[in-house]
Amino acid sequence: METKVKKTTKERLTKKELWAIFRRCFLVRAHNDFEKFHAGGFINALVPVFDKYYPNTEDKAKAMMRHSELFLTHPQLEAWTVGIAASMEERLAIDGDIDQDSIQSVKTALMGPIAALGDSLINGTARPLLAGIACSLAIQGSTIGIWLFVIIMGSISVINRYTGVFIGYKKGSEFISDIHESGIIYRLTDLASVAAYTIIGGFIPGVVSFSLPFTYEVGGEVISVQDNLNALIPGLLPLCLTLLMFFFIKKKKINPLILMFTVLAIGVVGHYVGIL
Amino acid sequence: MMLIQALLIATWVVIAFIDEETLQFQLMRPIVTGPIVGLILGDLGTGLAVGAAIELMFIGVVFVGTAVPPDACIAASVATAFAVYTKTGVETAVALALPIAMIGQVISTIKYTVVNVAFHKWTDREASKGNSRGVLFSLLLPPLANIVLYGIPVFLAVYFGSDYITSLINLLPETFIDGLAIGGGMIGAVGFALLLTTLKGKGLWPYFIIGFISSSFLGLNMLAIGLISAVCCGLHAYFTNAKNVV
Repeated sequence: METKVKKTTKERLTKKELWAIFRRCFLVRAHNDFEKFHAGGFINALVPVFDKYYPNTEDKAKAMMRHSELFLTHPQLEAWTVGIAASMEERLAIDGDIDQDSIQSVKTALMGPIAALGDSLINGTARPLLAGIACSLAIQGSTIGIWLFVIIMGSISVINRYTGVFIGYKKGSEFISDIHESGIIYRLTDLASVAAYTIIGGFIPGVVSFSLPFTYEVGGEVISVQDNLNALIPGLLPLCLTLLMFFFIKKKKINPLILMFTVLAIGVVGHYVGIL
Repeated sequence: MMLIQALLIATWVVIAFIDEETLQFQLMRPIVTGPIVGLILGDLGTGLAVGAAIELMFIGVVFVGTAVPPDACIAASVATAFAVYTKTGVETAVALALPIAMIGQVISTIKYTVVNVAFHKWTDREASKGNSRGVLFSLLLPPLANIVLYGIPVFLAVYFGSDYITSLINLLPETFIDGLAIGGGMIGAVGFALLLTTLKGKGLWPYFIIGFISSSFLGLNMLAIGLISAVCCGLHAYFTNAKNVV
């Protein structure tokens, strides 16, 4: 009898419970694997919701198992899906006017776009940019860039999870129709890719470093081929190498690892025979 | 190598891996791990130089889906330790980085296909029983597996390996080490190419060229490149907004 009274709780999720979900969002990829990726972490993130609305263990188990299927997206922006799923779970438990399957389909619909946004924003832009700056300062012997790198990347990680859980929860499933109508996620992904392309283009001459040792003589003067190249287009060789690698990975589908070893071997052989 | 130093390095690597699976403050990046290992061994300068060199090798390396990238953290920690211990500097570290990273990659593959699969089954078991506490524990404990997976191998490598690596380096011809270092400097190209393939890049090559020209011809530094990328974003946003196009 008592469980039945508890079961019909109409109370919305409290701030405290949302904070608990926020904390659990840091564990979403704690045991990331190649079978179900973040599925278990996602269940754990929603435990405060299940605890609140399903005091009966059987119902709780059923609710948890709804989320046990493969789930994978960007681990930080995943908090948005967690927040949205929390609001949908709440609505299912209180009002019951949505379908269980719709929660799963919303999650699945968000997986790809959020992963693409996270990859271009964090792996493509923020991390290489800040790491690159930290490196150039480190080479001069300064640690300030490293402090900034850790503090800013850490803040991004925390802010992504905070906004994801709290705003995602507040907007709920409306957010889905919102993003489809305004295309905001796709737009942000595009912009992040613009930044990433600019940064990668700009970093190539500094990061990819090799030069040709050839020299030739004109009228008794020794002229290096590399200096000639630099006078024409500085950083031409690194640019060509990167574009060649891009071609091999994208068009020829060659495993990047094989390319890495090939490049390493080219370094050794090239240096041995004197062309690098 | 002193026992306490090897233990500290291994502890740091475990912390960095746990961070990667939880908070993601990026402690496992070579630019953080290299200097920390340098600090532990009392040579921050070499740590900074090696950390930066290895970071640049792996700066673009992002594998998506079920592919495991060569492990930059293991590479940075062990290579920095060897570089400081053998006093051979950045060249050796860069030469050793990729082979060491491969060992880390093997460990990671085992983690994702065997160890974490088992942990994940534990979560499912607890979830099917509706046990909230059990679910939480099944996620809190797996990061500790990094002690066995990465901590112990790194400890063994730096504690017992340092002397072997010194003789190995002395054994190898100098041209070979130099060649590896040259190849290491070129690996960044594979990383960037890889990063480009993960991005939605249709029609974005002009921005790539803007970035390239800014650094190659104009010689702008990385911070300036970052600012230019922000400007490019602003322009792209303006000109792709239907409201602004007449």
